[in-house]
Amino acid sequence: MNASDHTRWKEDLAAYVLGALDGDEAAELERHLEGCERCQEEMRWLEPAVQVLPESVERQEPPRALREALMAEVRDDVREAKARPTAGRRRGWLLKPAMGFAVVALLVAGVVGYEVGKDGSGDGGGASTLERQVGGINVKMVQEGNSGTLQLSGVHQLPQDKVLEAWVEREGEVEAVPALFVPDRNGQAETRIADMSGVEVVMVTEEPQGGSETPTGEPIMTMEVPS
Amino acid sequence: MPVRREKAERLADEELMPLVGRKDPEAFEVLYDRHGGAAYSLAYRIVGDRAAAEEVTQEAFISVWRSGARFDAARGSVRSWLLSVVRNRAIDFLRSRAGKAPKLTFDDDAVLEQRPAVERTEDEALQRETAAEIQGALGKLPGEQSKVIELAYFGGFSHSEIARILGLPMGTVKGRMRLGLEKIRGELAEGLA
Repeated sequence: MNASDHTRWKEDLAAYVLGALDGDEAAELERHLEGCERCQEEMRWLEPAVQVLPESVERQEPPRALREALMAEVRDDVREAKARPTAGRRRGWLLKPAMGFAVVALLVAGVVGYEVGKDGSGDGGGASTLERQVGGINVKMVQEGNSGTLQLSGVHQLPQDKVLEAWVEREGEVEAVPALFVPDRNGQAETRIADMSGVEVVMVTEEPQGGSETPTGEPIMTMEVPS
Repeated sequence: MPVRREKAERLADEELMPLVGRKDPEAFEVLYDRHGGAAYSLAYRIVGDRAAAEEVTQEAFISVWRSGARFDAARGSVRSWLLSVVRNRAIDFLRSRAGKAPKLTFDDDAVLEQRPAVERTEDEALQRETAAEIQGALGKLPGEQSKVIELAYFGGFSHSEIARILGLPMGTVKGRMRLGLEKIRGELAEGLA
């Protein structure tokens, strides 16, 4: 790849990020992008210039009827979904099979470290830290006030189309932690759990991009949270 | 289990999206309240009339509601993603509207001017300030560059169509697009971002 080739792709990239390349040209550029880090980097650099364009338009007040119509359609969808028979309740999913897996994982890998400590100054607002190692993953849960941070290290690299999703169980109900996360190149990954109140178990699974409604794979780690 | 409205309001957009993917109407409503104004404004800018803008905005948000899990945080912010969905819907609308082509007369000032309006909230004021800064950055572009960018982004024209409209070689159009975007990007790097 010489410099003049890149000049050509560079001009195509600008048209591409604006959505202005014709179909065949766009397909050709996409094939080139798959193997050219330089052009991928150039595209990532240009994209924000396009992303700000909608912010430049004159603001219009949307009609109230639009919001009402939209939410009516949304709530109709929810009602229809509830009316359909479901494959089964999620209640208790995490504690039962996942805890079974956790026990196996602990037996196989061995618990290398387990510690509950208070890092705070003793004024009642300090952070509590829970650490353990399961299956080669170092898990650290730092709980401060009502929220917590789950820090993992030694996590394997994920395929492009996968993310990590954390799950918590409280009072027998499984909830997904909203923020999806991925490990960095050093195998470290972190997510925040906004509401730790009543959480009995925390688990992480590998899920498709965008996350899943219920866990679809075996957990890469499961940890009980002492009450 | 849907989250309560007040809890959803405390979540960042990126935290709301998985909830929307799980069909949580409260999370979706918060998302609309945050970005519905920008979405409708963009749709109106592209399609040019209120009824069509309303239709496009509703279709775009419903598509987000029904496929919320497709959002990929690695590719940018939720707002950018949402607005790109609206833009694509609006361009599709223009293309499918029988007998009515996208606007061909582009007045640079139409995009760059901001009609005075009452500021309702602090967020809105901040967004207006950001919009004014972005308009300032766009305003610094030579007209020939802003024109091709506007025709492409807001008009949905390909570079070859723009070349025909403006009577320019295609290479010139692509070059102006690149120069214009590089200048906007440079302005962002200097403090807009």
